[in-house]
Amino acid sequence: MTTLIRAEGVHKRFGALDVLKGIDLEVAEGEVLAVIGPSGSGKSTFLRCINHLERIDAGRLYFRDHLIGYEERDGKVYELPDKAIAAQRVDIGMVFQRFNLFPHMTALENIMMAPIMVKKEPKAEVRERAHALLTRVGLADKANSRPDQLSGGQQQRVAIARALAMRPDLMLFDEPTSALDPELVGEVLDVMRDLVREDGMTMIIVTHEMGFAREVCDTIVFMDDGVVVESGPPGAVLGEPRHERTRAFLSKVL
Amino acid sequence: MTTTGQTAPPAPRERIQAVPLRHPGRWVSAAVLGFLVIFLLQGWVANPRMEWKVVGEYLFSPAVLSGLGTTLLLTLLAMLVGVAGGIVLAVLRMSPNPLLAALSAFYIWVFRGVPLLVQLLFWYFLSAVVPKIGLGVPWGPTFFEVDTNLIITQLTAAVLGLGLHEAAYMAEIVRAGMTSVDHGQTEAAHALGLTRFQTLRKIILPQAMRVIIPPTGNQVVSMLKTTSLVFAIAVPELLTSIQGIYSRNFQQVALLTVACFWYLVATTVLNAGQHYIERRFSR
Repeated sequence: MTTLIRAEGVHKRFGALDVLKGIDLEVAEGEVLAVIGPSGSGKSTFLRCINHLERIDAGRLYFRDHLIGYEERDGKVYELPDKAIAAQRVDIGMVFQRFNLFPHMTALENIMMAPIMVKKEPKAEVRERAHALLTRVGLADKANSRPDQLSGGQQQRVAIARALAMRPDLMLFDEPTSALDPELVGEVLDVMRDLVREDGMTMIIVTHEMGFAREVCDTIVFMDDGVVVESGPPGAVLGEPRHERTRAFLSKVL
Repeated sequence: MTTTGQTAPPAPRERIQAVPLRHPGRWVSAAVLGFLVIFLLQGWVANPRMEWKVVGEYLFSPAVLSGLGTTLLLTLLAMLVGVAGGIVLAVLRMSPNPLLAALSAFYIWVFRGVPLLVQLLFWYFLSAVVPKIGLGVPWGPTFFEVDTNLIITQLTAAVLGLGLHEAAYMAEIVRAGMTSVDHGQTEAAHALGLTRFQTLRKIILPQAMRVIIPPTGNQVVSMLKTTSLVFAIAVPELLTSIQGIYSRNFQQVALLTVACFWYLVATTVLNAGQHYIERRFSR
């Protein structure tokens, strides 16, 4: 299996605050990885570094052997221009906690916008794919609805379809169910589960849904205070945690 | 007496027929105001020296109507320059390039700080210091050039003066609109692979419009009235035409009444339009 994401000693600081203090991590193609940990542990920040929504301060972060947001030549690291960073993001889909659908567009337009604007794909083809994606997330009849006419769960499913329309190689989920009413969590998790089973999509999921992580993920990474405390298969990390911090966290959430 | 204190009597269900509260203050103020209105109207409308015949004569005269047309044209052109310039200035102001941001801030500082009348005169007299405008390499060969007076006519001086001044104010309005859009929108667009410019055009500006358009309506109404300042550089708009007429027949108040009538008609129409637009965008 090829490695899709490789993090080596990734550091990130906001002002005086060290948020990431050296993250080492590998994600193989087809792997589903859950990142868990208390709030403020840096897990969302790490996820956002992967598509350069945050720039890292030290270490190296690779996507398919290319540095993310930078370029390394002759032993020097160069910042990439806006356009090159945008091009890197094309292969990485992202789903946000607060959905972030574009409120001035219908569900269908939300999905169609990026493939047409960014990839310059023919409109008819994109429209067909957008309808297929809406059907897949169970919202075939909501193509012409605007985000404010949809429930949180429906908005998040449109947001997943929007990311999938770019045919990404990697999907990032930043607490995709944390902003949802409890009865709407299941419909979003169903879509994500389907993505793993049907497409074998590579996914990195920051989540508090331990049951879902145990069921779907290949690897669980527990982060605390800007470092990876432990990682491994769900049975090991959730079942027999080796570190005191992991045990303390799990005793609160399980 | 076994039932007392057990249950309160049921409240009557019929409509309350209350005696209305008197408002003597309203009657007094109405009487005072009525007296004042009649007194003022008598002094203005029924004033024998106030030539209403002259008002009627000039209300629809070709000179006045053509002046009104110029006023409307000037409002439109100046607002076009103002809105376009305002968007550019706001985008520059929020640019990560510190030089461009500073340039925009400097522009806004200058154009809001100098009185509009001074700016209008400045553009009008520009040819005195810059007699020729051309295209060429600075300190090198010139490809073509023309007399400044040919390009900066009175009308262009007016459009430039009003529009560039307006752009400084519009910049702040556009900036407020852009900052009102949730940052998550930018992140979602970037995550989809849109460049900064694409994000601005497709995601930020369309959403900022909700916030930008209502105050822009205000600016249009305000601009319509501000155009009267260009009489100082003799652009034949409404006030200049009116002034031209009363300098010949000395019926100043009658003709200024004509001007007031047309300004009020135009602002009323624009206000109605703005009201409609605000309702549409507040949804």
